[in-house]
Amino acid sequence: MEYAIKISGLSKKFGDKEAVKPMELMVEKGYLFSLLGVNGAGKTTTIRMLTGLTAPTAGDAWVCGHHIVKELSQVKKVSNVSTQDTAVAGNLTVFENLVFMAEIYGRSKSEAICDANEMIKDFSMQEVKNSKAKTLSGGWQRRLSIAMALITKPEILFLDEPTLGLDVLARKELWKIIEGLKGKITMVLTTHYMEEAQKLSDKVAVMVDGSVRAIGTVEELKEKTGASSLEDAFITIAEEVR
Amino acid sequence: MRMKVFGMRTGKEVLRDPLSYIFCLGFPIVMLLIMTLVNAAIPAEANMTLFSSIKLVPGIAGFGLTFVMLFTCLQISKDRGGSFMIRLYASPMKSADFIGGYTIPMLIIAMAQVTVSVMAGMIVMLIKGESIQFLNSLITIPVLIPSALLFIAFGLLFGSSLNEKAAPGICSIIITASCMLGGIFMDVDALTGGFKTVCRALPFYHGIDAARKAFSGEFSGLWTPLAIVSIYAFVIYLLAVFVFHKKMQSDKK
Repeated sequence: MEYAIKISGLSKKFGDKEAVKPMELMVEKGYLFSLLGVNGAGKTTTIRMLTGLTAPTAGDAWVCGHHIVKELSQVKKVSNVSTQDTAVAGNLTVFENLVFMAEIYGRSKSEAICDANEMIKDFSMQEVKNSKAKTLSGGWQRRLSIAMALITKPEILFLDEPTLGLDVLARKELWKIIEGLKGKITMVLTTHYMEEAQKLSDKVAVMVDGSVRAIGTVEELKEKTGASSLEDAFITIAEEVR
Repeated sequence: MRMKVFGMRTGKEVLRDPLSYIFCLGFPIVMLLIMTLVNAAIPAEANMTLFSSIKLVPGIAGFGLTFVMLFTCLQISKDRGGSFMIRLYASPMKSADFIGGYTIPMLIIAMAQVTVSVMAGMIVMLIKGESIQFLNSLITIPVLIPSALLFIAFGLLFGSSLNEKAAPGICSIIITASCMLGGIFMDVDALTGGFKTVCRALPFYHGIDAARKAFSGEFSGLWTPLAIVSIYAFVIYLLAVFVFHKKMQSDKK
């Protein structure tokens, strides 16, 4: 089995508070791996460490074989992140946002235009292609945000609560897009929506108070806890600690 | 390459905001017209030359640069306040790409603004039947580059260190200070005592003084104020780069 992410003893402290306790984790290549946990469980901090946004306090991690501290520039080239909020340039059009992001990751202008047109087609964004990003609805903005992450052709995509605040239709649309990416790239998803994790994930880790308490497929976690749903399994695991 | 791409994006963000045109172009031109009317209403026996075209045009051109500071500051604080910057922090962009990507488009906008202000002043002078020294007017534009860099540096500094709500307030203080202490609407040379010392110790007066000397063709007196404002611009810019770099690190935490 080839691993896209290897984590060994990775931890993060903010002052006296240990946001992420020493963690061991492996994510298989091509998997959609979900990190579940209540607010403050350490999911976002873990993603921030893996994307080079926050330096770890201790431990090691490798993203596509590149060390997240010693080879950060390589990590940045092979990964991308779609954040909790929509991260788009408001006064740029959808098309300009995509071209901009592709060029930031080293594509030439002509390559960037070609890739942006491809993304517009793949994400069915033709009708908003020339609209300024700030004029789009939340669902379209989130879709653009994910497209901006994917246009850089990452080997690993970190999706930090990608459907937070979206209505049910927009959420379902994004699920379709994420499902379409499964197997093509490795994805690490954080979410509070158990239905989302259950539908999309190949594997799930449950984080509680900065520690990974359980890892497995949805079925394995349900079996382990004797629960009938992922939500019940999650509650059982989270309450065991509390 | 990344600096250029980011700079293009910064330029588009600023130029697509209608407020930029109102403040960066509209406001200085309106001020020029109003002060020209004020000057016309001042009786000749008052012997007040502060609002004469030869002083007013370079003064207004220099004053307009304070709004470039405001928009630099607003753009940076707005970027820092949202997730867009987090996305860019996770990209291969380096701090030099960010700093250059903010500075270069704002410098281009500043120079375009100065050019428009000087041209508007020349038109007003033509209408009034005053003689125009075209070469002097042309030289005034590059003479204001150090002032432009000074205000961009202030924008970079405040935009990096303050949030979107606090940044405009601090910029307003600098705009008022440069207006009052720069000698644009007040004759600093006619003052005495501590107030004059404060005015002359700050860069605003020297930036305007250099522009006025260039516009009036007093080139022998140009170099001292130009050197003073250049040194200030260099020091504030270095400080802004340092603060930006530090804030970039802390924003990531």
